[in-house]
Amino acid sequence: MDIDEIKVAVVRIEGTNCEEETVKAFKECGVFAECVHLKQFYSDMIRDNEQRSFNDYNCIVFPGGFSAGDYIRAGAIFSARLKSVLKKDLEDFIKNGYPVLGICNGFQVLVELGALPGFDEDKPISDKPMMALTINNSSKFECRPCFLKHENKGKCIFTWKLGKKEVVMFPVAHAEGKVTFPMEKEQEYVETLRSNDQIVFRYVDRDGNYSGYPWNPNGSIYNIAGICNVLGNVMGMMPHPERAFWYPYTQGRVIFESVIEYMKRL
Amino acid sequence: MLYIKADVPFELYEINILKANDEELTKISRELGLALNLEEMKKIKNYFERIGRNPYDIELQSIAQAWSEHCCYKSSKCYLREYLFNIDADYVISAIKEDAGVVSFDEEYAYVVAMESHNHPSAIEPYGGAATGVGGILRDVLCMGAQPVALVDPLFFGDLDTEYEKLPKGTKHPLYLLSGVVSGIRDYGNRVGIPTVAGMVFFDESYLTNCLVNVGCIGIVKKDKIIHSKAGNVGDLFILAGGLTGRDGIHGVTFASAELNEESEEESRSAVQLGNPIIKEPLIHACLEIVEKNLLTGMKDLGGGGLSCVIGEMALSAGFGAEVWLDKVPLKEKGMAPWEIWISESQERMMLTVNPKHVDEVLYIFNKWDIPAVVVGRVTSDKKLRVYYKGYKIYDLDIDFVVKAVEYCREYKVKDIVEKDETTPIHYFENLILKMLEHPNVASREWIIRQYDHQVRASTVLTPLQGMANEETHGDAAVIRPTNSWKGLALTTDVNPWMCKINPFWGTASSFDEMIRNLVSVNSKPHSFADCLNFGNPEKPDRMGEFVECVKALGWMAKGFKLPCVSGNVSFYNETPYSAVAPTPTLMGIGIVEDVRELVTSHFKGKGDIVLVGETKKEFGGSLYCRITKQESTIVPKTSPEKLKKYAETMLSAFKQFRIYACHDLSEGGLAVTLSEMCISGIGCKVRVKDYVELFSESNTRWVVEVSGGEEFVNYLKERGVEAKLIGESCDDSLKIDSLKIEIHVDKLRESWRRGITKYTG
Repeated sequence: MDIDEIKVAVVRIEGTNCEEETVKAFKECGVFAECVHLKQFYSDMIRDNEQRSFNDYNCIVFPGGFSAGDYIRAGAIFSARLKSVLKKDLEDFIKNGYPVLGICNGFQVLVELGALPGFDEDKPISDKPMMALTINNSSKFECRPCFLKHENKGKCIFTWKLGKKEVVMFPVAHAEGKVTFPMEKEQEYVETLRSNDQIVFRYVDRDGNYSGYPWNPNGSIYNIAGICNVLGNVMGMMPHPERAFWYPYTQGRVIFESVIEYMKRL
Repeated sequence: MLYIKADVPFELYEINILKANDEELTKISRELGLALNLEEMKKIKNYFERIGRNPYDIELQSIAQAWSEHCCYKSSKCYLREYLFNIDADYVISAIKEDAGVVSFDEEYAYVVAMESHNHPSAIEPYGGAATGVGGILRDVLCMGAQPVALVDPLFFGDLDTEYEKLPKGTKHPLYLLSGVVSGIRDYGNRVGIPTVAGMVFFDESYLTNCLVNVGCIGIVKKDKIIHSKAGNVGDLFILAGGLTGRDGIHGVTFASAELNEESEEESRSAVQLGNPIIKEPLIHACLEIVEKNLLTGMKDLGGGGLSCVIGEMALSAGFGAEVWLDKVPLKEKGMAPWEIWISESQERMMLTVNPKHVDEVLYIFNKWDIPAVVVGRVTSDKKLRVYYKGYKIYDLDIDFVVKAVEYCREYKVKDIVEKDETTPIHYFENLILKMLEHPNVASREWIIRQYDHQVRASTVLTPLQGMANEETHGDAAVIRPTNSWKGLALTTDVNPWMCKINPFWGTASSFDEMIRNLVSVNSKPHSFADCLNFGNPEKPDRMGEFVECVKALGWMAKGFKLPCVSGNVSFYNETPYSAVAPTPTLMGIGIVEDVRELVTSHFKGKGDIVLVGETKKEFGGSLYCRITKQESTIVPKTSPEKLKKYAETMLSAFKQFRIYACHDLSEGGLAVTLSEMCISGIGCKVRVKDYVELFSESNTRWVVEVSGGEEFVNYLKERGVEAKLIGESCDDSLKIDSLKIEIHVDKLRESWRRGITKYTG
């Protein structure tokens, strides 16, 4: 597809709050992107010229923020609303190989929705969540720079342009970002993620070593910062690449450029 | 009978003011919670005698809101006007007159500044009080049509090591207040998605029974989209949008306009509003969409006094009147009396005036964002405000009478200050430096800063923590880049309450000096400022004296420096029978950064000479040195606007000529703390310092600069009349002052500095 055919939707509801900078980052890379309210996909009250469908886009992004306040569990309400009206559409979207990205709260939404870890190729959205992003070990909101080692061997389409084992710095800002699996399946899931090449980023220290707090800001198992589904076209990550896009920290740009490169080849 | 039930099918009382004697007038004020004095009650009585009827409860309540200290600045206005207002600067678009100041940023954009206090609510209910403080200041910026882009939060508490047994009755422990306030700001600011990028925390025993929670906000707006806080045209409709109206926050302003006491907790809890950032966040989007599409003619937020203030003030500023249909207001609960609806301070509400032809479009936009919005009134041509409820007229007053209110030039007394210095050098400098770094007024604010999302919106170029990741030190100012150009805005908040306590005039002048120093440190040109003046009970001449001295100093510095004061707030009655707060004129400085790629940070890079800029005198009044060594001095550092301006301008011009690696100003703890903070990110220094005065004095208008070519830099400054000297170089990994036998490893400095707050908060 031509670069000017690419259309990106950054989906917002009340309380998502990183959509504007995410749209701005895509636009800066030369593609069409817009903030779309979830209601524009399904609600009768929306006027014709503002109605949208997933088919209008080639990439869907769930941005950071506190969707619906995150008073229950981070991402729970947003994902419940998605599930009740758009599950089928999103499933088709993923199956057709279009990219879906969740950043921070967006990652939490994709996890609550069952789109990540996304082990099953034929069923991109599981019936129940298989993992959780739980409260940071520090029990606090953590806004800090993080070093991430790129661990993916080529499956994840969001890091195509990033070198193997390359270390980048993106900031995190969350209170619930600790990757957690059911206790009895912890080892199994980590192993599956590894063997499927679904691990994308792991937290490291300044020298590139896997380290504990504060380098791993939340206590995630296996220092996991970001993962993709088994198809490689759905990625969720807690750190914010859109905040590391502009001077003086610009390494986040590679995420946006990679997915655009992928779409160009679709 | 003083109160006569009106013959209507809802709760409404006629107040028999016409027949009331002086004693009864005072009784009415007390029983209805009006917080008006006898003179004011008599003035009201006169008015109603003239129009020949008794007021209804809603009318009296409405007047009490408008005449509260909080809403009308009745005690402060005359001194503010005399000393502080009207500092000319051709780039100021609107100062003081509206909810926020508006200042030109570049050809296309203006920035919007607002600052205020939320002290009383936070002392009673720290979490909710601080959260709604953030909510309120966001609305002040939003109502100018601006997108909020950054928040700042200066906070003041009693000492963290206060023993629980020694807490006065009804007072909450400073640690509880600190955690509550920080959580409130975090949970509101982070959810609403506006970065909290700067602030300060100061501990002093005078804040034990009155913590201060100030909050400031910056917004950005296209110049052709600036909205004014007034009604548009006759016939336009008032649209109330946002949160529902309930019984929370009734009498918030009258409660904020009196001293707190040990019963305030019980009596005034209901005066604290409840915040909801998840209504605010879409409310901001919806309002800005309406602004962008040019669908409104005026906008103002509902803050103190609720509907009663907003409609009157919008109508009066436009020279019009209004009629309001109070039963249209969407409510949180049943059974509210009309006066309660009228003065409720429920949060997250905005008032718009809209031409009738655009009403449907406006309501659609709010509906799209799931925000309740209804038409509640109409702009009329006479200067009267009339309120109807279920078909009955329950309010009919001249807006001039209600809003223009009262004004006092209160009596004041300036205290005599005898200047003396009894300081002497002490023996163990190393120990003292570590104690200074660990002092809660100096120690690392990381515990607070990391809980605030200071990077959302992806425009924070310089964060409050600077240096190597996870070994950062404090910066002087934060910088955001609000548009796509390379131009940035630097933000800092400053005040030195210890100095202000000893000498309100020089303490305030020093605070102004510090604000300028911080802006210059990051390589920004001071552009404007806002103030939040926190004082005790203005009815006491001593307190009023502190206030007047402070305003005089502020006016003198600002006029001499030519820095316009664009927005401000006065908070009196920060006083209990136990104590009054130290005079606290909190300042928020805004600087323009021509190109964010040329910012200067505060940590040593290990590449240059170290230069001390400025003159050091024996000025220890209010210093950290005196506090820790328990020595006495009342000589608060002096300054002058002319000198400050010359130094600031010369520094900024030198920044263009030389390769600058780091810059940090000298404040609490003097040179010792400044050098230590510059070392904390990992790189040490080796410097020569003469004596304890040079090391610890807190003289104004000084900076430490790490620069390549130190001697040339010093010569450049000296040629232009600026004192400076080369004192050493940045190198190795310890703070080394051979002349005073000091050598402390940076890890040790960092350890003490990091422990100061976390040893209390965990």
